[in-house]
Amino acid sequence: MFWRVVVAEMKKNVRQFFFSRATLVWAFVLPLGNGLYLYFLYFPFVTKSVELEFNASTYTLDLVGFTLIGQLLYSFFVMVMVVGAAFDREREQGTLEALLLSPANRMAILLGGALASAVWYMWMLIGVLFSWIGFFQVNIIINDFLALFTSVALSYLSLVALGMCLEALFIHSRRGVMYGTMLQEPIMFLSGLIFPLQAMPRGLLVFSYLIPLTFGLISVRLTLLGGASMFDVAVPLGILAFMTATLFILAMWLIGYAERQAKVKATLTQF
Amino acid sequence: MVIQMAPHSLRVLLATAKVNLTMTWRFFSWTGFALRFWIPLMTLGAAWVLYNHVYQGVTSSAFRNAVGASDYLSFITIGNAFYVFVFSAAFVVGRVMFWERAMGTIEATFITPMSRLAHMAGAMAAAAVNSTIDFVAVFLIALLFGFQASSFNTALFFASLLLTAFALFGIGLMTNAITLTFRDRTTTANTLSILFMAFSGIVCPVELMPVWAQAISKALPLTYGIRLMRASLLRPESYNSLYDLVALIMLGIIFVGIGMITLRLIERNMRKKALFSVF
Repeated sequence: MFWRVVVAEMKKNVRQFFFSRATLVWAFVLPLGNGLYLYFLYFPFVTKSVELEFNASTYTLDLVGFTLIGQLLYSFFVMVMVVGAAFDREREQGTLEALLLSPANRMAILLGGALASAVWYMWMLIGVLFSWIGFFQVNIIINDFLALFTSVALSYLSLVALGMCLEALFIHSRRGVMYGTMLQEPIMFLSGLIFPLQAMPRGLLVFSYLIPLTFGLISVRLTLLGGASMFDVAVPLGILAFMTATLFILAMWLIGYAERQAKVKATLTQF
Repeated sequence: MVIQMAPHSLRVLLATAKVNLTMTWRFFSWTGFALRFWIPLMTLGAAWVLYNHVYQGVTSSAFRNAVGASDYLSFITIGNAFYVFVFSAAFVVGRVMFWERAMGTIEATFITPMSRLAHMAGAMAAAAVNSTIDFVAVFLIALLFGFQASSFNTALFFASLLLTAFALFGIGLMTNAITLTFRDRTTTANTLSILFMAFSGIVCPVELMPVWAQAISKALPLTYGIRLMRASLLRPESYNSLYDLVALIMLGIIFVGIGMITLRLIERNMRKKALFSVF
C-alpha cells in the first residue's frame, strides 16, 4: 500500500510537470543557461581551473567540471524546492482535502512527490551532461568509485529528505511556490555552488554548513574532479548521512503536525 | 484611420498602465519585490567574493583589454542593473495574457474593441516604471559593493535605456504568446532570463566568450544596450557607439515586429479554436 501511494504520487507529479512536450525543451535549456552563466562568471579571471581548499589540502579542479557538478546538484535542488510546493498546488487545485481524507500514508505522499523530482531531474541531468560534455572537455579524475557513488547517493537522499520537509512545511502557507523560489538564490550563494567555500565571508559560513547541498558539492566535486578517496571526504559524507536521517525524521513529524493543525483550525483550504 | 485610432490607443495604454501600477502597489508584496532583486544581488555578491576573496582584486589581461578598464565591480553592476528590465519583459509583459486567463478576465479583455498592442504597451509602461525603481535600487546597492561611475554621458545613457526597453518589449510580446499557448507559468520566463544573463555580457565581456556564444549574444538586444550603458558610465578608452546604436535599433524593430505578428496569430488561433479560458 505504501509503495502504491508513492508510485501514484510520482506519476501524478510527473504528468503535471510534463503536461506539454514543450516542457522538455525548457528542461534542457534552463540548466544549460544557468551553467553557462556560472561558467562565464569566472572568465574575467581564469578560464581553465579553480582551486578548492578542503581539509588542509588544495585541489585544482577543472573549471568546467566545477561549474558542471555545481549545476547538476543545483538543478536537483531546484526540483526539490518545486516539489516542496506540492501541497500548495493541491490547495490551488482544490484537491488537498480529498488527498488528506484518503487513507494514504502521509509519508508515502511526501516521498512520492520528492521522488517525482528525481524523474524530472533525469531530464535536467541528461540535458546538462550532453550539452556540456558535447561543448567542453571536462577533466575528470576518479580514484575511488565507491566514494563517488556514496557522495552522489547521499547528496541525492539528503536533498530528497529536504524536499519532504519543505513540502510538509509549506502546507502551513499559501505562498509555498513563492517561498520555494525565494530560497533558490540565497542557497545558490551560500552553498559554495558559485565559488569555492574557502572564499565565503566567515560570518556567512555558519549558514552554509546548515545546507546539505554544501556538503554534497564538496564531496562530489572532490571525488569526481579531484580524485579524492573515501577517507578524504569522510567528514562531509558523515555530515550528509546525519542530515539525511535528521531531515527524514523531521519530515515525519512536520507532516503529522501540519495535519493536526489543519484539523484543529480548519484552515486547510482557506485562502 | 490611424490618426483616429491614436487617441483611443493612447487611452488604452494609459488605462492599462494605471491598472497594472495600482495592482502592483495596492497589493504590494515584499516577497515579490525581493524576488526581482535576488539574481542581481546574488550576482553582485558572487562577483564581489570572486574579485576580492578568490582572485585578490586582479582581473585577467584579456578582461582589461576587452573592457578598456579594470574596474570589474562597476562593469558587473551595470549589467546587473539592466537585468531588472529583462525580468519585466519576461515575467510581466511575457505573462499578461496568462494572468488574464488565470483571473478569468481574458474573454472580457478580448471582447473590447481596444488595440491589443496598446494593451500590451500599457503593461510594459507600468513594468518600466517599476523597473526604473528597481534599476536605481540596484545601483544604490552596488555602491556598497564598490561601484564607481567615471563619467555620465546623458544622451547615451537614456538612449541605451529606451532602446533596450523597446527591444525587450518585442521579446515580451513573443514570450506572452508562448506562455499563453503552452499554459506555462514560469519556465519560459525563467529560461529567457537566464539566457540573457549568460549571453548578454552581464557577467563577462562578450569578447571573452567562445565563438558560438558570441554568435548568440549578437542576436540579443541587451548585449548592445549594456555596452552602450557601460560606455555612458565608465568611459572606456576606445569605443564607437554607432554600431551598437544601429544594431539595437534594428533588433528592436525586428523583435517588436515579430511580437506584433505573434500577438495577432495567438488571438486568431484562440478565436478559431475557442481556447480563451480553456485550461
